Amino acid sequence: MYKYILDVAGGINWMALFALMTFLFVFVTSIILVFRKNNDHINHMASLPLEEDQN
Amino acid sequence: MNQKDIFKYDDKIVRNFAIATAVWGVVAMLVGVYVAFELVFPSLNVLPELTFGRLRPLHTNAAIFAFVGNGIFAGTYYSLQRLLKARMWSNFLSSFNFWGWQAIIVAAAISLPLGLTSSHEYAELEWPIDIAIALVWIAFGVNMFGTLIKRREQHLYVAIWFYIATCVTVTVLHVVRSLEIPVSIMDSIPVFAGVQDALVQWWYGHNAVAFFLTTPYLGLMYYFLPKAAKRPVYSYKLSIIHFWGLIFIYIWAGPHHLLYTSLPDWAQSLGTVFSLMLIAPSWGGMLNGLLTLRGAWDRVRTDPILKFFVVAVSAYGMSTLEGPLLAIKSINAISHYTDWTVAHVHVGTLGWNGMLTFGMLYWLIPRLYSTKLHSVKLANAHFWIATLGTVFYVVPMYWAGWTQSMMWKAFTPEGFLKYGNFLETVTQIIPMYAIRGIGGTIYLLGAILMIYNLYMTAKGHRVEDKEVAYPPREKHIKEKGEYWHKWIERKPIQMLLLATVLVLIGGIIEILPMVFIDKNVPKIASVQPYTPLELEGRDIYIREGCNNCHSQMIRPFRSETERYGDFSKSGEFVNDFPHLWGSKRTGPDLHRLGGKYPDSWHYNHMIDPTSMSPGSIMPAYDWLAKDDLDTKYTAAKIRVMQTLGVPYEHGYADIALDDLSAQAQVIVENLAADGIDQENLAQKEIVALIAYLQRLGVDARPK
Repeated sequence: MYKYILDVAGGINWMALFALMTFLFVFVTSIILVFRKNNDHINHMASLPLEEDQN
Repeated sequence: MNQKDIFKYDDKIVRNFAIATAVWGVVAMLVGVYVAFELVFPSLNVLPELTFGRLRPLHTNAAIFAFVGNGIFAGTYYSLQRLLKARMWSNFLSSFNFWGWQAIIVAAAISLPLGLTSSHEYAELEWPIDIAIALVWIAFGVNMFGTLIKRREQHLYVAIWFYIATCVTVTVLHVVRSLEIPVSIMDSIPVFAGVQDALVQWWYGHNAVAFFLTTPYLGLMYYFLPKAAKRPVYSYKLSIIHFWGLIFIYIWAGPHHLLYTSLPDWAQSLGTVFSLMLIAPSWGGMLNGLLTLRGAWDRVRTDPILKFFVVAVSAYGMSTLEGPLLAIKSINAISHYTDWTVAHVHVGTLGWNGMLTFGMLYWLIPRLYSTKLHSVKLANAHFWIATLGTVFYVVPMYWAGWTQSMMWKAFTPEGFLKYGNFLETVTQIIPMYAIRGIGGTIYLLGAILMIYNLYMTAKGHRVEDKEVAYPPREKHIKEKGEYWHKWIERKPIQMLLLATVLVLIGGIIEILPMVFIDKNVPKIASVQPYTPLELEGRDIYIREGCNNCHSQMIRPFRSETERYGDFSKSGEFVNDFPHLWGSKRTGPDLHRLGGKYPDSWHYNHMIDPTSMSPGSIMPAYDWLAKDDLDTKYTAAKIRVMQTLGVPYEHGYADIALDDLSAQAQVIVENLAADGIDQENLAQKEIVALIAYLQRLGVDARPK
């Protein structure tokens, strides 16, 4: 079944294209989302490791 | 005012892993130094268990899984609890993780010198240990997710994303690479053969570097570097892009280990393209690390921990630039199979993993024991010793790699190979091997100094689980304008699923077509299954780790076809369970060795390599002429191979031993004709190995 599907797909250039397009999608989406974040949230996240243990 | 929960962090488990990291680190380096000197002084190959071929996998496994592995657990257990403001979910699973992992390391330290190996690089351990690894790793994952679920901090810091991606990807890689059918309690046959096995191998091997040596350590960097620098990471936004970019691209880059081999071109190109793309997120991460020190550079002059971190992050930057460059075909043509690769990986392990681990241990141990570091001066000394050791290690290796590659490719004006005898290209670089051994020794001495310093720090103090108080996690109220990235980063399960999908896309697209499309592996009619005796000889070749020094893959270059014979085709390997292409040529390629020399040459060469090749640094394998061949599992091996599609005739397993004896008798007669006579020679292992070596590359050799 899979063999048939992949065989008739005709070449594998689509795979390289698919890979690049998916990466582009992931990369662009993450950039857009990151730059839409508000700075207070980002500052809170960045300071998480610096919090000292509370007794 | 919120009610606070009072609870204790589990710091004893962190201490256990930290001690294991330091101890196994020294063991890994010690084995490394020993194998390094074996190449300079072959007489160090004193016992079968101590030969280079068997010890080299022990060194790599110890460095990756024992040293770095315990480092991952130590850093993760410490930072995870504090970032989530929760004790680890299960004390039992934490202990199971610790003792299980140490037991696996001990099992590896026993089984690898005994020659019990699958031959897959960095996945050499046999199937019962593979199952144990899966169980312990899943226990770690369950414990981590249990802690994530009962956490008191709403949001997941970026270090935790790296831990989650590591956890899920290592599980996938380990399971797929370990798909094998057991033949006996410590022997198995992998389900993939030849070019498919090679592709799965380097999809795994490359991502062992990516998701064991890199992503978890990036998580540690994002936690411990801000801690040590006492300032937040330079750009949290950049760290998010670093994360998604890296985990998506890394998984695709594996085929760059197979450039110019019989792997189809499309898969090679995919490996190259994605490797080059890796520079962007890797350097984003490196710059993010270095820039975290903005305004704190004055402290780098005095603080050894920051010194270790700066060199670690710089080494990360250097290896992640060099790696993609080595994935360009024209550069790879020069570097592959040489010590250049060895230099490259040691910039990564000694520089990135080693230095980051040392810095982390110097930071952790005094805090765990609630005291101060015994001697900052000694830690500073360690830093310079480690840096010097790294330089003395990598520089001669680069030099050796370039020298040897140029010698392999040199032709005389008449068009003949200038260095026709491979051995000339080995003896030329032995001085570099000696300096490398000294570099490794210097690095090892530094690590011993660290253990002394940390021991003195801990002496007289105890680790107590620290009591802390935090309010419980507040119920999240959805804010206006909240986007799904925020939704993901609050929810570990979503993060797990998305990370899994991203890493699986790369793996599936690369491997499935290779497995299912026949035309990717063109069949060669003359390629036949191995005879039973050759099959047993092949298993001896695997047991002795011959593939650690000899490749079986002739690339389509004139310099290689002149030296070794016709270039290798993928159809020649369809019955190779597992593939034995190798990744390093300390000795010559063996793919077309069959029929090149008489049987007696091989006999004499195995007993004493210098008798046939004066100056050879190959160990003597005299026990092969003394030990009887074990044929107990020959029939079982043939049956397993039949189920995997190797075209042995129906019922052949039952008569395999008759064929085995007949073929052994022919070789014994050949040896006798050349004056080699020995009692019961037909039953000895060496006869099987000769049969295998004489079969190499014969089936498809042009007439």
